[in-house]
Amino acid sequence: MRKNNLDEMQEKKLLSIEHNGMWLAFWGLVAAIMIQTCLGADFKQLAGEWVILMVLSIYTLIACIKNGIWDRRLKPNLKTNTLMSLLAGLAVFVIFGIEFHLNNQHGLVLPTAAFIGISTFLLCLAALQFTSYLYKKRKELLEQACDK
Amino acid sequence: MARNLKIKVARAELDMTQKALAEAVGISRQTMNAIEQGEYNPTIRLCRNICRVLGKSLDELFGEENEDA
Repeated sequence: MRKNNLDEMQEKKLLSIEHNGMWLAFWGLVAAIMIQTCLGADFKQLAGEWVILMVLSIYTLIACIKNGIWDRRLKPNLKTNTLMSLLAGLAVFVIFGIEFHLNNQHGLVLPTAAFIGISTFLLCLAALQFTSYLYKKRKELLEQACDK
Repeated sequence: MARNLKIKVARAELDMTQKALAEAVGISRQTMNAIEQGEYNPTIRLCRNICRVLGKSLDELFGEENEDA
């Protein structure tokens, strides 16, 4: 392997730059998907962004759980998971509400957007509860390994 | 973080420039300057390398009394 040209402080700074770049890409993709959805784009039009976002998210999720890391500030409990899922459900409700409104589907706007929002809330809550469980199991395993 | 004047003094005793010390330790001058200015907290491995080059102990260069400097 080639010698690293950077010393430890430069390496730390580069990691920080890469970290910012990663989150910029993540939220940029989320914003692009949200805007395209609001404008009525179908799945084929945003499939590329969606695949990249999923790869990025799944990689981050697996890497974090493998290393026993959840979040800097948020706790993996039911209260926080419910709150985050509510926010996700609300965001999806608003986005689809706008999309249906712009596409002149006036009669179905509220019930359909509400159904999609509630489904998102439930799916997010289930996914967060499941990953919280995986995180706790992994953390326990890593702590047991420290005792050996 | 407080400035690390002890490194600067030890360097001066050996008539060594910041650039020469950085090269001897194997880091950039930018990093050496940040350590002396107290803007970067080096790892224990780097601290030991700096001590070895300057012929000082960890306590002499990075001891707690530096906090007051």
